[in-house]
Amino acid sequence: MKTEPKSILYFLWNYYDPMIELFDLQAKEGYIKKEALLEVCNKHGHDIEVKLYDYKILKKVNNDYEFRTVFYSFLEFILNEFKPLLPETIEKYHYSISELFRKIRKGLAEEKFIQLQRIQDLIGETRDFSEGVENNTIKLLTATRELKANMEKIDYREKIHRASEWIEYYILPMNKILDIHHQQSIANKLYEVANFANEKRLIGDDEQTRQQFEKLYYFLLQTNDNLLKQSKILTNELLPLIERIRTESIILSGCIEFLKDPRDAEPPTLLKSTRDMVYSRHMMLNAKEFWEQFEVAEKVFIEVPGAREPAWLFDRIAYREKLEARLPIEDFFGWCTENLEDGNKIVESEKLFSLTTLLFDEDLQLEFPDKNNPLRVRTENMVYRVPKIKVDKYGIL
Amino acid sequence: MEYSKYHKRIVQSLLDGKFLLRNEPEFLELREKELYYVEFFKASFDYELKIASDYAYLISGETNEMLSRDICIFFSLLCYELDRDGKNFVDELNYAEFEMEALENYFAHSAYIDLIHANKQLKDKDARRNFVNMLNRRNIIEKRSEERFSFTPAYKVFIDFARDLAKKRMEQPQPVE
Repeated sequence: MKTEPKSILYFLWNYYDPMIELFDLQAKEGYIKKEALLEVCNKHGHDIEVKLYDYKILKKVNNDYEFRTVFYSFLEFILNEFKPLLPETIEKYHYSISELFRKIRKGLAEEKFIQLQRIQDLIGETRDFSEGVENNTIKLLTATRELKANMEKIDYREKIHRASEWIEYYILPMNKILDIHHQQSIANKLYEVANFANEKRLIGDDEQTRQQFEKLYYFLLQTNDNLLKQSKILTNELLPLIERIRTESIILSGCIEFLKDPRDAEPPTLLKSTRDMVYSRHMMLNAKEFWEQFEVAEKVFIEVPGAREPAWLFDRIAYREKLEARLPIEDFFGWCTENLEDGNKIVESEKLFSLTTLLFDEDLQLEFPDKNNPLRVRTENMVYRVPKIKVDKYGIL
Repeated sequence: MEYSKYHKRIVQSLLDGKFLLRNEPEFLELREKELYYVEFFKASFDYELKIASDYAYLISGETNEMLSRDICIFFSLLCYELDRDGKNFVDELNYAEFEMEALENYFAHSAYIDLIHANKQLKDKDARRNFVNMLNRRNIIEKRSEERFSFTPAYKVFIDFARDLAKKRMEQPQPVE
């Protein structure tokens, strides 16, 4: 390049915003359309288009443009915008590393400078591979943390889907690649190379070659450490995190599904706790009923309130004597009334009828002087019409 | 036959529908004599004893479905609200202490308010308090005070239920709308 390196950096610094815009375009589409480039240039000033060519930042591809790899990678790196590589893509290093190693092993007798070049290339490939793994891990971690925080407010189903995808297509394959015990893994291959390099750095005729092997060896040691670290992050941090997201999202999905219609699903069985009582519910009443049959009912006398008058007894003899003493009586019922009237001038019917029985004594003579004019005797509830009866002793005194 | 001093408590608690928990000596005894107790409950009552790593409980064919359903609703609502609040609900159930007031807040302002009102056990503050007391009796929660409580490992039964339900539904073909 004819331009000063500082100028290029200055340009990048000065025109950071349009650079990022162009970067975004390429990241999305894979290239930069001519119209899109013109748009960006119009926004930020025409002269940048010239500079982009002069500094060899952009290159033409048919009618469109794209960043030169070195600039794109640089921007990608500082922006931390790595797209996680599908592990299949990283697998390609397996082939390149294996091939180089095979050739190195086979061509020990070959031209020195080819061997040195091969070792150099091997270091290069290993470095690319290691960086690829590191970038992948960083990106996956970032994406996973974002998913956990759910910044995009993704639906639970989508969360489960993504988490499952990552586990299946990224993490598990990555783990396999980094597994040093796995025969087919790159890590295993590198281990093999390291052993070989360790051997070759100590034996062999050529000093330079041995030095290169030594460089390779130490580099591989470092790479191994790095890979181990990445592997740890994957298994200890990333995998559990994603698993947790998946599990939580599944649980939450389950909760929400259940709440849609709680009667639809069968809930877990819980024990129905019953209280077993030794006696029945009706014990109390039954017992009461049983005892009642043995009760002795006391006779209860109920006193009617109010003083009771002593019952009136018809003293026949006394009244007979009274009657005799008054004989002859002109008006029998009048005499009854006289004897039976109480303070209120009332004669009680019962008493009247009792006295009337005196008339039936055999030794009394009755006369009925006036049958057409009955007399009245008032009792407590009636008025009786009675004849006038003359009473005399029978026979001649 | 020798019975351990915990035997009576084990049997009584489990028959009361309580969960036995990892930190209790009864639980340790139960685990030690797992085979015996599994058979014991089966033979004596035809109940199945479920022992997990940190809790144990009985299930029977005559299940208390209403209660179980209400508990599931309670957990589902709580998980949903915790998540909406930006919290990690699994961690909260595992370690956190809850306050009745916070719980009330979630329920009173939940998007599922209709469902809550329709449920006799959860419809208002008093009902919810009674419900929480019931959970305490069954050792599903542990009350630290009148207002604070935390969940025992028993919560896993209901979380597992939600997870299994989700898996089942996901496997079902989605109805075309």
